[in-house]
Order: sequence, then C-alpha cells, then structure tokens
Amino acid sequence: MDKVKTVCPYCGTGCGMYLHVKDGKVAEVTADPDHPVSQGELCVKGYFGFHHVADKRRLSTPLAMRNGVFEPLGWDAALNDIAGRLRTIVTESGPDSCAVFVSARATNEDNYAAQKFARAVLGTNNVDHCARLCHASTVAGLAMTLGSGAMTNSIAELGEITDVIFIIGSNTAECHPLIARHVVKAQQRGAKLIVADPRMTEMASKADLWIRTPLGHNIPLTNGMLHVIIKEKLYKPDFVKQHAVGFDDVVRAVEDFSPEAVERMSGIPAKQIVEAARLYAGAGNAAILYAMGVTQFSHGTANVASLSNLAVVTGQIGRPGAGVCPLRGQNNVQGACDLGGLPHVYPGYRPVTDPAVRTHFEQAWGASLSNRVGLKVTEVPHAIEQGKIRALVLFGENPLLSDPDSGELRHALDKLDLLVVADLFMTETARFADYVLPAAGWAEKDGTFTNTERRIQRVRPAVKPPGEARPDWWTFARLGTRMGYTGMGWQTAGEVWDEVRRVVPATFGGISYARIDKQDGLCWPCPDEAHPGTPILHRDGTFMRAGGQALLKAVLFDPKTLPEEKAKQFEAPLAGRIAEHPDAEYPFLLTTGRRVYHYHTGTMTRKSPLLDQIAPEELIELNPEDATALKVANRDFIKITTRRGHIVARAWVTERVPPKTVFGTFHFWEASSNELTSGDTLDPVCGIPEFKISAARVEKSSPAEAAKWLETIRDAYRVSLERATTARRLRPEPRVEESV
Amino acid sequence: MNRFVLADPRLCIGCYTCMPACVVVHREAGLQAYPRLTVTHTAHGTMPVQCRHCDDAPCAKVCPVAAITHREGMIFLNETVCIGCKMCAIACPFGAITPHGSGTDSQAIPTIPYLANGEEVTVEATAAARAAAVHPLLAWTAGERSIAVKCDLCHFLPEGPECVRVCPTKALCEVTEADLTREIEGRRQKATAEVGSLPSLWSERQA
Ligand code: SF4
Ligand code: SF4
Repeated sequence: MDKVKTVCPYCGTGCGMYLHVKDGKVAEVTADPDHPVSQGELCVKGYFGFHHVADKRRLSTPLAMRNGVFEPLGWDAALNDIAGRLRTIVTESGPDSCAVFVSARATNEDNYAAQKFARAVLGTNNVDHCARLCHASTVAGLAMTLGSGAMTNSIAELGEITDVIFIIGSNTAECHPLIARHVVKAQQRGAKLIVADPRMTEMASKADLWIRTPLGHNIPLTNGMLHVIIKEKLYKPDFVKQHAVGFDDVVRAVEDFSPEAVERMSGIPAKQIVEAARLYAGAGNAAILYAMGVTQFSHGTANVASLSNLAVVTGQIGRPGAGVCPLRGQNNVQGACDLGGLPHVYPGYRPVTDPAVRTHFEQAWGASLSNRVGLKVTEVPHAIEQGKIRALVLFGENPLLSDPDSGELRHALDKLDLLVVADLFMTETARFADYVLPAAGWAEKDGTFTNTERRIQRVRPAVKPPGEARPDWWTFARLGTRMGYTGMGWQTAGEVWDEVRRVVPATFGGISYARIDKQDGLCWPCPDEAHPGTPILHRDGTFMRAGGQALLKAVLFDPKTLPEEKAKQFEAPLAGRIAEHPDAEYPFLLTTGRRVYHYHTGTMTRKSPLLDQIAPEELIELNPEDATALKVANRDFIKITTRRGHIVARAWVTERVPPKTVFGTFHFWEASSNELTSGDTLDPVCGIPEFKISAARVEKSSPAEAAKWLETIRDAYRVSLERATTARRLRPEPRVEESV
Repeated sequence: MNRFVLADPRLCIGCYTCMPACVVVHREAGLQAYPRLTVTHTAHGTMPVQCRHCDDAPCAKVCPVAAITHREGMIFLNETVCIGCKMCAIACPFGAITPHGSGTDSQAIPTIPYLANGEEVTVEATAAARAAAVHPLLAWTAGERSIAVKCDLCHFLPEGPECVRVCPTKALCEVTEADLTREIEGRRQKATAEVGSLPSLWSERQA
C-alpha cells in the first residue's frame, strides 16, 4: 500500500494524516505522528470520513440541463457554452450582473483562481463565500480592532502554555476535536477553563466555571467582565496606554454593565461574572477561543469587538499562550478569505476601494478592475429576485442547505439565467444548475489548505479523480482563457501558488511548496524564504492595525431595542440587540450548530457508512422539562415551526439545552434547521445572518406525520431531480463498486 | 481478575472516534459491524460505556446456550452461538450488551436517490451491505434477527483494544490486574501520607 501525506479535509484544525492507497482507492487513513497540531491523533471524521472519495455518486463528466434533463457533454462544449453565456450576460447587463461564490472547502489555489476569474475576467467584485455565514464578524471585527481578522496564536500553545482558557460560543469538542484535545491537555497541566455557552456541551461539563449564558447574551457577559476588570483595576494600564486607543470609550460603555445589572438583564449570576473576570484578567497567559456562538448574530461584529476589548485591556494578547482565537470552521475557510474570496478585498485583505492597491493588482493581472465593493453571499438571493444578478458560478458549496431560509433561496436559484455549479456530487444546490461540472476532490489534487492558526499546509493527490473531474483552478483557468483572458495559463497548482506569492509577497512570499514539503506548513505572514513564519500575531503589543495600536470599541447592548440614546455618546459604537424573541405563538428559541460525526451539509460525511451508522438522522435537543410538558419521550418525533417554515425530526431529550430552547443542525436535508433560520436580520457591518436565534414553536408529532413530512421535503429538494432522473444512461456500468 | 476497558469522562470529549473504529476492526474480523461501546452523554460528563468484564458476570449466568463464557481473563460472547434471546442485555447492569440486528427503526428512513452524471444511482441499503461482510456462521441480517454484541477487548488484535489506540485524548485505557493493583497501592500510599502529615489524631486519647 502506498501512503500519501496530506491534510484532513474537514475542520479548520487542519490535522495531518496519511492516506493509504490500495488498488487506486483510499483504503485507510492513519494519523501523522509528527504533525504540530494533531500530534498523531485524528477525530472521527478524519479517520472515517474518506469513503466519499470513491463513492459511485461522484460526478465524472460535465453536464448541461437541457429540456429538463441533465445531459453529458465534454469539457470543450461545456466551457464554450458557459463562456459564451457569461459573455452575453456581461455585455447585456454589465459585469456586476454576475457573481462567483468561492469555496472554503477547496484549496488556496482554487480560490485564488476563482476570485481572479471574477475580478480580472468578468470584471466584478461580486465574490464571496460561506465565511459570510460563519466568521464574517471575525474578519470584520478583528480587522477593525486588531488589524487582522485571524487567530492570533498557534493551537499547540494552548496545551503547553496557556493558564486560563476562556471558551465562549464554541463547542470545541465537537467542532474542533483536536483543538479540544489541547484544552484537555492544558487542564491536565492545571490550567483553568471558563466556558460560556447556553448548551451544556462537552466543554461546558469539563469547565472549572461554566456560565450558562442565555442565547444571544454574550455582550452583557463580556461587558460585565470588563466592568469588573476596570473597577477592580485588573487591567494593564501601561499596556493600554502604549498599545491601544479608545480606552475611555470602553470605560464609559461598560459603566452600566455592573455584574448586578447584567444579572438583572440576563440572569447570568453576578458572582460568575466576577469570578470569570478575575480568573481571566489574573492569568499569566489567557486565551479566548470562540466560534459561531459569538459570530452568528445580527450583532456578531459587536460580539467580536467586545472579546478583543477584553484581551487588549488585560494585555492578554501578543505573547505565547495569550491571544484571541477565532476557531475557523472549515478546512480552508481561512485560506478562502486570505486569497480574496471576499467582495471588498483582493488577496491578502487589500481593499478593492484603494486606488494604489487596485493599480497593483491591475498591473499584476493585466486587466482593469472594478472599484465597487461587491455583493455579499447574503445579499445575492435578494439581488437575484430583483433581476440584478443573472449569473452565478459556484463551487464546493451547497448554499441550499448551508444558508438561512432555504425556501427563499430555492426561489431565487430558479430565477437565475445561468447557474454553474462545480462539485464532487450532485448536491441539493447543483440540481438547480444549468451546468454541473465535475470537480477533483482533496484526495485527488495538489495544493494548499490554511488551517485556523494560519498554517499553510500541503495537500497532495493520492488517487486519480473520477472520469473527467478536474481541480477547480483548472476549470476557472480554462473558462478565463475561453473568455479571451491570457493571465490564467497555469499548468499546475504550483504555478498558481507561485503567482500568489509574487502578487501578495508580504503575506505569502516566503511560503514555497519546497519549504512546506519539508516542514509541516508555515503560518503567514511570511514575506521571504528566510522568514520563519508568524505563529503569534501582534507580538509585544505591536498591532497590525495602521499605526500599530489596537482599537478599543464601545460595545453596547440591549436585548429588545438598540440602545440608540446611549450610542449617541460615542463615536461609531457597535450596538446589538436580538431580532427574534419568544412570544405566545413561538414560545421557544431555536439555536443551531454542528455535531462531531457529520460535516456541514453532509455531502461528504453522509457517504461514509461508518459515520452514517452512528448518526443516520437528525436529533433535535429538547430539555426534559419541556419534553414532559409536551408529553414527548426521547426519540419521539417533534415538529418545529418558525416564521420561515417547519421540520419534523426526532427529539433527543437532554439537559444539554436549557428549558424552552431547542437545538438542531444542518447536516440532514430531511430536517435541516436552515429551513427554519432567518436570513432577514443581518449584522450591519458584515452582513452575517442571525442563525443562532429563531423564535420557534415545538409540538409533539407522530411517525405518520414524520413520514408525510419526508415526502414533502423530498419533493422540495427534488424539484430538478425529477426532471433529471429521466436522463439517459451515460455509461453501461457504474464506475465504482460498492464502497462499504 | 478480568481485564476491561474504561473511559475517563474528564478526558473524553465525546468525539465518537472510538465507535466506528470498533466497527472497522470487528468487521474485518468477520464479526458484526456494530460498535461494542456507546458514547453516552450525561449532565455529569460524557464517555463511552462498554463491558466491564465482571468477574461474576450476570450475562454469562443468564445465557441459556452458554454463548457467554469466562475465558482468558475476559467475558467472551460467541456471536455464532447466540440465539438472540436478549436476556444478557437485560442482566447487564451497565447496558453494555446491545441486541443488534432487529433495530431497523432508523435504517428504515427512505433516502433520496442520488445522481451521478445525470443518472440515478441506487445505493444499496446500508444495512444489507453491512451484513454482507460478517462470518457465515453468524447468519445475521439486519432487521431479521438480533444477536448480542459486546466488547471482546479486540482479543484478535495483537495491539489490544482499537478504541484505546484511536482515542485522541487517551480517555480510554485497558485496565489489567497489575494496573489496578498499582493504582490501589498508590492510593494507599497517598492516604497514609495524608494522615501522616496531620497533627497526631490520637494523642489525646493516648495521653
Ligand atoms: S479535528 Fe478537524 S482536522 Fe482534525 S481530524 Fe477531526 S475534522 Fe479533521
Ligand atoms: S475516542 Fe476517546 S474522546 Fe472520543 S468519544 Fe471515544 S473515549 Fe471519548
């Protein structure tokens, strides 16, 4: 058996693994003992999530939707058709009538090529991806306050150095298991763990101090902690004076967030706030870990800024083991952002509105570029409805399941003049496409992924892609060439990467394939080949913000109404509220998240019989108190309804959720919480929707109703499947045998 | 004393890696492709629960066909002898035995036909596919009859239990008589040292 060293394709931890290849197929995955993060361990997805690679449902030829059926056509015809139709749409309605969604699942090379295609070939900044739905608040918030929207430290420091770990809104054990391992290691060393989470997650039950924050009440907690820290003089006056601006704003903003006031507002015990503040501020080195429980709110940016306030005021940043650690969800969501998969920045986070920057990229790419900030993922459905967007090209993303309010998006996709989807499988979204292109997956292509600690690591091909599947960079390059652009003549992924290094030298210049072949990745920024990389950002308080100082922001909050009166006292404060509150009709709150054994929309993990065996279906967490009131037993069916729609799924009766709260995921199309979430209330700064809170109604259901519901939802997702299934057989026998 | 595997809920992060790992090695050994340990979540922590290999095993006592026996320092369940009477599952105080095979409830979920290249692909029911790999003497098909499954300490693997090997936080450990003796001795030492460091407790009485 051959073994090929590569990186896990699932979460942002970026564990090192070996793929063992037998008869041209991945037969087994083993852990890489020398990897700096995973150190010889993997989680359930890493070990057992590879079966999709050889699944017989893989796409292996380009397809076009014609007269209601998908018909195979060669690459040549597909590229010509798509290029022609894009050209027509651009001529008729201008470049901004097209949008490209890049992919946090694909390589840096793929993402660079895709955004270059949008900007240099189509001429639009309508480039975005699903980071909009996860860490947009981080990218915006930390860039504003610290100068860089990325994790400040490296993962292994947590296990080795950090004394106090404050996890807020991150279910680390399930979503980043191998980071949780470092937290457990730290605890064994005597480090203290504070967890703020409405759910009793595995991290919460390990915490020395668990604060059961009510949904959406992060700011009262962090502002309350800041109040205590300032009042008890636990902050670092010298550090603040030298390295930050805006301290007075914070002092005034948190003035009325005394622990007692916060307890009245949110029910969080005042004692816990004081204890958390003392523990965190008093630590030798403290780190904050956070994820979607902080970012996915209409006040996500404010949440993030309040955490950076906490770190800067106490000087818990810029040293080994001390910092702010947004845990990025997907294997390469960091890279997709770094490489310019965002509507307002070029690769390396250079603003599209800055003329000097634009000139640099115009010269590098030999094309004239747009100075208009593009549309965000969350703005695109509406723009389609209005006829402003006519063509959408997306790859490695399944927005129908991953984006809020699936119903609305289904309508929008149907209205497009041109939808092109490149993916491994015929996803729920791809079924709506005019062209479906077969993509080579992570086990089949060369390139790099960037994990959540900014470590750029090599991904290597172990097996051949099925049929005519191609890496996405190839697809975009060919499409660009067909449209008459000459700047995408790359022959290999390595050539794409070398261009990235040339175009954004300050960030990536020193990171060559040769170097990261020899060592397990390098953390950006790394400007030249002699540079060792930068595991720790903002070293010694030299912040990456212009001027080198951190910005402390006034963060205000009121659960019901935006505190506008108070906001007037500040220059550009960030203010938050919660959009939906329980009422008589919708007395529950629904919150969403992931589970460890499946990944996002399940396109990959649900093809693993092993993962499917432990988790074949959605389980909605329901508190025992509510279960008793509703006469629902564990694993009975329940119906959850919000203003957007309803789903029927089994209940998991558990104290993991507090009373009057239910929790669901988006792994299963049969019962995806995104049928229920709202895409209406967006964060004013970064446009992230409020995934984490929807007012909901919960009722007891029955197996009969569940069966009926399944028919309904199957129809909803089959709209184009029904048209498609009549397609003629393409080949005499299936390409791959049973993968079990 | 029998050996057994035990998890520490302080270390377990509930990542489920141990469960499919268990399935894989047993499937390769021709046994039922079903996890022999079950990750269990409670308000007091999470850990996988599996057979304690009781020295006076109630499951072995109730088995009418002696499918469960005491051998080589463990409680061994011979899946080819099991008649699926489920008494062992009732007798086990830890819920460590699962009568597997009849539980088609969740497997009955109809799945959407998937498309590859515009063509509908029927994916065989996973349950049947799972059954295909087992030992012929097991004569076991999902949904038809159940057979008891429990931890067998991966006795066929020279490296020992697979769950212990794959657990990323090393929350699982195989406890042998020597381990337990060492642990107990250590605790005695600690207890003695603790009392030894206190001011004399009995001096008043002795005076
Ligand atoms: S922790 Fe994340 S990167 Fe590591 S093996 Fe699991 S899914 Fe893969
Ligand atoms: S592998 Fe280890 S950490 Fe994961 S669930 Fe099993 S015992 Fe717990």
